[in-house]
Amino acid sequence: MIRLENLHVRVGNFDLRDISLEVPKGGYALIIGPTGSGKTTLLEAVAGHARLRSGRVFMHDDEVTTLPPEQRGLGFVYQQYHLFPHLTVRENVAYGVSRGRAGLDPDTRVAELAQMLAIEPLLDRPVRGLSGGEQQRVALARALAPKPSILLLDEPFAAVDPATRQVLRRELRDLHEREGITTLQVTHDFDEALRLGDLVAVLSEGRIAQSGTPEEVFRYPNSAFIARFVGTGNVIAGTVRRTDESNGRGPFRAQFTGGNLVLDVVAEREGPMHAVIRPEDIVLSLTPHPASARNHINGRVARLERIGPVTLVHLDVGRPLIASLTTQSVQEMGLTNGLDVIVAFKATAILLV
Amino acid sequence: MPLRSLVSRVVLAALGACLVLFIVGPLLRLLFFASPASLGEAFRDVELRESIALTVFTATVATMIAAGLGVPLAYVLARRNFRGRRFVQGLIELPVVVPHPVAGIALLLFLGRRSAVGGALAGIGLEFVSHVPGIVAAMLFVSAPILVSGAREAFRSVDPQLERVARTLGDSAWGAFRRVTLPLAARGVLAGSILAWSRSISEFGSIVILTYNPKVASIYIFDRFTTYGLQSAVPAAVILLLVALMVLVVVRVLQPQER
Repeated sequence: MIRLENLHVRVGNFDLRDISLEVPKGGYALIIGPTGSGKTTLLEAVAGHARLRSGRVFMHDDEVTTLPPEQRGLGFVYQQYHLFPHLTVRENVAYGVSRGRAGLDPDTRVAELAQMLAIEPLLDRPVRGLSGGEQQRVALARALAPKPSILLLDEPFAAVDPATRQVLRRELRDLHEREGITTLQVTHDFDEALRLGDLVAVLSEGRIAQSGTPEEVFRYPNSAFIARFVGTGNVIAGTVRRTDESNGRGPFRAQFTGGNLVLDVVAEREGPMHAVIRPEDIVLSLTPHPASARNHINGRVARLERIGPVTLVHLDVGRPLIASLTTQSVQEMGLTNGLDVIVAFKATAILLV
Repeated sequence: MPLRSLVSRVVLAALGACLVLFIVGPLLRLLFFASPASLGEAFRDVELRESIALTVFTATVATMIAAGLGVPLAYVLARRNFRGRRFVQGLIELPVVVPHPVAGIALLLFLGRRSAVGGALAGIGLEFVSHVPGIVAAMLFVSAPILVSGAREAFRSVDPQLERVARTLGDSAWGAFRRVTLPLAARGVLAGSILAWSRSISEFGSIVILTYNPKVASIYIFDRFTTYGLQSAVPAAVILLLVALMVLVVVRVLQPQER
């Protein structure tokens, strides 16, 4: 278990503030955020490399705020791996258990990890000349050797090719399930969070902008920034005005005006905000038909982007809008560039943030 | 090859060759000026042997002191970002720009019996002026900057993240330094130490003011030259040159390959 309470870390002129987060025992949490949002600094604060201005760090109910890194019992895999260049692969893996440290026999432990991560043939090689994927495995083996109960990963797949990334991701997930290590990983790739994490926290300018399950964050982003960052879909800036005169409490009918569009929405407050429309909630048709969808707009197909079984339809409705359809239905409808279509979506499909 | 590029190559080569010849020429002339017989005779000269032994001894002591005090400082300068770091770095490099006789006079004033520091040290039996410790002090003054900057660059070339990895693998700060940073920086630190040592061997200007006697090799050569003339100074000069060349070879071997 990792619990962070109101961390404040300053590195140079950069502040990481109000960071509170709890990763349950055996959980897999991802910190995502664009470059420069403070992700690595956050991991270093958890590891004890960065001094805290305030806040507390707990691991398995013990406060470790003032403990040096070597007493926190965690493994850390850096983005660039940072294997020790003066040691062989074997010596790198054995580093944390050498001379019986952590109460483990180095030879046995190295053999176990080498088998688990398929690096046996590399053991007696120097680290120079290893490929990115090989270095990644060695770095992981080295971090896991002392049997840490917590694993910190800083963009572990950033420096390997996409094919290796897929394999390593799957292996890491399996490893996590088998060993039950509480894992905190940093990434700039939301896709990775969707595939790996039980919990994500989106970091923006040194603060946690939103946290929750990957699914929650993806479906219900709480700001335009997050909607854009996680790729929820179409984000339109505008203003909400109440049209329902009932004055009751709770959600009300309203009109959203922005980006050349006037949309019927269900809102909880008035004023300037963003409308988020998921591509898969948009329905296209060639002829108008009275359906339950409240918003009907005339548009034109600007471009088709096929991604396997799904096709993204780039529309021009006076502003760009993206719809996601199955490739099969795109073919059945005979959608082509320049074709006029009716674009429809429900008022309730519009998320206002 | 186009004519223009051929011409520019020739010009560049000629310019470089001039300087290389100017450096190599005098040294070769010196090497061949001494007859093997005179070299053998010089080796049998007790006074020369003693002065070389004294030079090697004092330079070694000065380098050890410079390493003991300078390697930790070099590490701090390479790793920590504190207020006044650049200022400290500038101070350490000061001896490089101070003319050596000026350094000698400053050391004389600082370590002489009449100064507070010199007087106090004399009180515990450490005499500098016209004594061996004076030689070590002068050598330390001129060579420490070389050792510190060499070691600093060696530490700077080691990725600080490696120490952080070692810490998460259970090492204390000292353990991480000893098992990771030091082995990786060792060649560079050693190369810097050898350069500092050879700088000590070659020092003349400040030692001549602080401690003329007992004579280190450079002063012995100067003394031979002024008292007996050129012929008498050459064999000792050749021997000192050979020592310097050996140092150069060792340093070249130790230094990481240039790309």
